Amino acid sequence: MSNVVVLDNGGGFIKAGQGGERNPAVVIPNCLYRPLTSKKFLHPTTTFSSSPDDLTSAAIRRPIDRGYLINPDLQRDIWSHLFTSLLHVTPSSSSLLLTEPLFSLPSIQRSTDELVFEDFGFSSLVVADSPSLVHLYETSCRPCGLVSEAQCSLVVDCGFSFTQASPVFQNITLNYGVKRIDLGGKALTNYLKELVSYRAINVMDETLLMDDVKEKLCFVSLDVERDLQFARKHGKDNLFRCTYVLPDGVTHTKGYVKDPEAAKRHLALTDGASPSEAIETKNETDQLGEFDLTNERFLVPEMIFQPADLGMNEAGLAECIVRAVNACHPYLHPVLYQSIILTGGSTLFPRFVERLEKDLRPLVPDDYQVNITTQEE
Amino acid sequence: MDDDNSNALRRMSTRTRKVAPKMAAALGSSDNRSQAALARLEALENDNAGIEAVEMNDDDEASLDEDDQEIGFIQSLMDIEAHTHRYTSIEISFLQSLIDIEAHTRRYTSSGIPFSTRFMILSTYMQKRSKGTKRKTRQAKALENARKAPRSFLELLHEANLESLPPHVPSYLRAAVGPPSSTSRRHFCSVCGFSAKYTCVTCGMRFCSCRCQNIHNDTRCMKFVA
Repeated sequence: MSNVVVLDNGGGFIKAGQGGERNPAVVIPNCLYRPLTSKKFLHPTTTFSSSPDDLTSAAIRRPIDRGYLINPDLQRDIWSHLFTSLLHVTPSSSSLLLTEPLFSLPSIQRSTDELVFEDFGFSSLVVADSPSLVHLYETSCRPCGLVSEAQCSLVVDCGFSFTQASPVFQNITLNYGVKRIDLGGKALTNYLKELVSYRAINVMDETLLMDDVKEKLCFVSLDVERDLQFARKHGKDNLFRCTYVLPDGVTHTKGYVKDPEAAKRHLALTDGASPSEAIETKNETDQLGEFDLTNERFLVPEMIFQPADLGMNEAGLAECIVRAVNACHPYLHPVLYQSIILTGGSTLFPRFVERLEKDLRPLVPDDYQVNITTQEE
Repeated sequence: MDDDNSNALRRMSTRTRKVAPKMAAALGSSDNRSQAALARLEALENDNAGIEAVEMNDDDEASLDEDDQEIGFIQSLMDIEAHTHRYTSIEISFLQSLIDIEAHTRRYTSSGIPFSTRFMILSTYMQKRSKGTKRKTRQAKALENARKAPRSFLELLHEANLESLPPHVPSYLRAAVGPPSSTSRRHFCSVCGFSAKYTCVTCGMRFCSCRCQNIHNDTRCMKFVA
């Protein structure tokens, strides 16, 4: 059992564990939160989706802004809680493998070094960037695949703070070829909050609840025009309408989807097919503390593929990949397109891979194959 | 002759001037529609808005007369050193935290007290001279608020001055993906979310039908701007 602590310091979640294990032992949100019931900021002990507390209007403080560590004191607080209560390691007798985003500023690197050595006293430190580690993991999982034979891959990381497409060659990230979209899970949640606040209930303070809504109800549509047509229909014909019930502290402390079976009806829609029959639903009016979602369910993840729809002057994910590949040597292009690895929380929307393939195929020259792999466990 | 040639010799302050984001947007363009669009995009990128509650204790106060001299001494020290050596943001914040050791002796914050011995010597000197406290001026409060809030990433990025690097060096700004290849975009109604054909005359938000236009005019026309 090695004495290396592996710590993936992400903007949304911290994933930590011992070196050599397959899965991270601890996944907690990288923030301090204060629910309405308490006056001080608390440490999260597990991911918010599995915690039983009421998360209404919980305030959040994050040490990481846009992916970079700007508040080392807050981070020290979170890490000390992590090391003592959750991981049970003594820093002075262990080494640390830390991830940092690319293009970190020298002042940030200096404060991170101080944090690791002076405040915790680790014996040694390795700072890596996440794309090369993802590539390494993929090659170790599939030692006979194309990725490990060519030693080259394109890692697309849709994270909390931004989305990045990074080519990796021989375990080194080619940082001249990295392209970044400033949209991530945080912007998706903010957009969903804005949409729901305009149309139903003001949820601008409820970041954690809307995170839950986003994870449970949002999906990626393959054909937005057709889905908008379906979302317009009323009553039973509308396959997308779903109600989410907010917690009220009395009957239920966590929000939930009113009809989980109905939420899956959209999966019955395949390309070009029309919906067969709709399930009977009771005719209920919106009571206080619940809201309906119809087209927001697929318009929110649509943002990653077309940021121009929001007015942002940035290209979508497919173009980002194309630009990242084009920035590398022409001999690498076919191999990169054939070994695209998707990682990051925002890739977990249903139908994400199919939509990305559909968007990417027209932009790639005919004689190259496009092959996208996700991190299956 | 004086003004033109002496620009190179004129001492410019290296203090970072903070412009409030809304002010910067207002100075940039006077168009209502672009202002509204800018405000929307900033709100999207924001972390939790305004959740940083006032944590400082209200009973801690800075005294004005006695400590002004010390504060002035530290500040002039900072200014001179900032001009001669290029201090990084963290070192400047270390120096500024000395003012707070002096001003708030009761509250020893756990944030940002440096380890270097040189500062320790200065701080022990300062602590001997502390006195009872008086009401804090608005400026002292603002100074302390500005010091306590960690610098946002955009400020750090701006200070790092990445444009001055030669063009073959990859940097954070060059890694941005850049504008899309086609500027055609779909518009969605801001009220109901479906495809929008019409635009509000005053603020530029889209809507799809008369009903949505009425709702828009009642509730959120010019919401971000005015």
